[in-house]
Amino acid sequence: MREITIGQYYPAESVIHRLDPRVKLVGTLVYIISLFLFKSFSCYFVVAAFLFTVILLSKVPLGYILRGLKTIIFLLLFMSMFNLFFTPGDVVYWKGGPFQITDAGIRNAGFMALRLILLIIGSSLMTFTTTPNQLTDGLESLLKPFKKLGLPVHEVAMMMSIALRFIPILMEETNKIMMAQMARGASFDEGNLIQKAKSLVPLLVPLFVSAFRRADDLAMAMEARCYHGGEGRTKMKPLRYQSRDYIAYVVMLLYLATVIFTGKVLYL
Amino acid sequence: MIGHTGSGKSTLIQHLNGLLHATAGDILYDGESIYAEGYSLRKLRSQVGLVFQYPEHQLFEATVLDDVMFGPKNLGLSVEEQKERAITALGQVGIEESLFDASPFELSGGQKRRVAIAGVLAMQPKVLILDEPTAGLDPQGKKEILGEIAKLQKEQQITVVFVTHCMEDVAEYADLILVMNHGKVAFYDTPARVFAHKEELKDLGLDVPQVTLVMQELHEIGLPVSADVITLKQAKDQILRVFAANASSRDEEVACDA
Repeated sequence: MREITIGQYYPAESVIHRLDPRVKLVGTLVYIISLFLFKSFSCYFVVAAFLFTVILLSKVPLGYILRGLKTIIFLLLFMSMFNLFFTPGDVVYWKGGPFQITDAGIRNAGFMALRLILLIIGSSLMTFTTTPNQLTDGLESLLKPFKKLGLPVHEVAMMMSIALRFIPILMEETNKIMMAQMARGASFDEGNLIQKAKSLVPLLVPLFVSAFRRADDLAMAMEARCYHGGEGRTKMKPLRYQSRDYIAYVVMLLYLATVIFTGKVLYL
Repeated sequence: MIGHTGSGKSTLIQHLNGLLHATAGDILYDGESIYAEGYSLRKLRSQVGLVFQYPEHQLFEATVLDDVMFGPKNLGLSVEEQKERAITALGQVGIEESLFDASPFELSGGQKRRVAIAGVLAMQPKVLILDEPTAGLDPQGKKEILGEIAKLQKEQQITVVFVTHCMEDVAEYADLILVMNHGKVAFYDTPARVFAHKEELKDLGLDVPQVTLVMQELHEIGLPVSADVITLKQAKDQILRVFAANASSRDEEVACDA
């Protein structure tokens, strides 16, 4: 729990870091769509190769990225198990009560796990290479068309960036409160599930109190600097596409075409 | 314990009750290594009480009394014993009985701090460690809390380690000073001897008590006062003595003239 790297920014000097945040947001969307288009191992190979290239370009260490996966390992196992034991198929390898292991089950479990891993790594790569501020700017600019429909675009973007910004702060706070309660003899990893859940009360109550306190302080600090929402607010660094951003869009299209080609035309 | 921000004070004290595990070296409590196999860290934590910075941020129970009982409860004591210890601890930090059933979140900042300190005292530790116990309090509250801790140290015969940025507090309350710098011990000696290293302390981002600065200047202009004075009381005594000496010599001069 203390080592959540998802959603954090990893500072480095790379092409990916310098890309316009809008490119990265659209890119991530394209990437996610490409993940769900087909269900064949050759497609996943193309996706993985693309992802790996982007990771190399981004200069974010692979170990650092993989550490983020640790937090979803439980979910991953759970989902794979479900797929493995409950999918009916042509060839049944083993059967026991409601459980069965079939060829389709194994395929499904493998696809599910692969998809989830690629999904998490791909989307966390965006936050690794984009500061929360850039992310907000990009999101706001991309969602601008929806403003006409009455969606408070600026406010939504601001809320998202604040939420992202608060993840590491709350992690640190959790750590501190945990230690303070442990100094009073509390333990967080003993007993059965109910006792464990109960032992979280001394952790969660102070954590919520501090989150509200921080929110109050932040609101105050923003008002003190005359923040009043997005109306009439100008940017110090307005987003402008560079030539590398157009190249990135082209690369994205090529990538999507390759995935569709492998999935649709080659039938692999 | 003093040292500039980031010198490793908080990190060091979190090792002392086994919350952090040292990568090298050993920590002995009563001659026993706390890293030994089968050593009960929970027991250690009841003997070595650690009060974190801004300890009021750890309060969580519905009432003051319940919150202070949390420590004793974790020690596995009976409810009566928990209550007894909590009441004693709250008394030690000067919280009135009328507040026992109040919500800890309704109290003033100073009161919250006391309740949080009582939460650790209720475990009746033999060693009490406090990380900046007076940070963010007004001068009156600061004085009261430090006074209560000093009283505890004398009456209960417990060892107290406290981290502070206030040199005056160190001079007044500490028997020994540990100066930290970049995760290492820079000095470990009596206050008078540590504060004699005025220049070195300045290089470490620290200072000597104001009154010591005054006395050092007085010493430099040739008055018969010692330069290693660190508390206001000592300074007052010395200065009054100089005045008395001057007055009596003037009296003699007057007598001679006559």
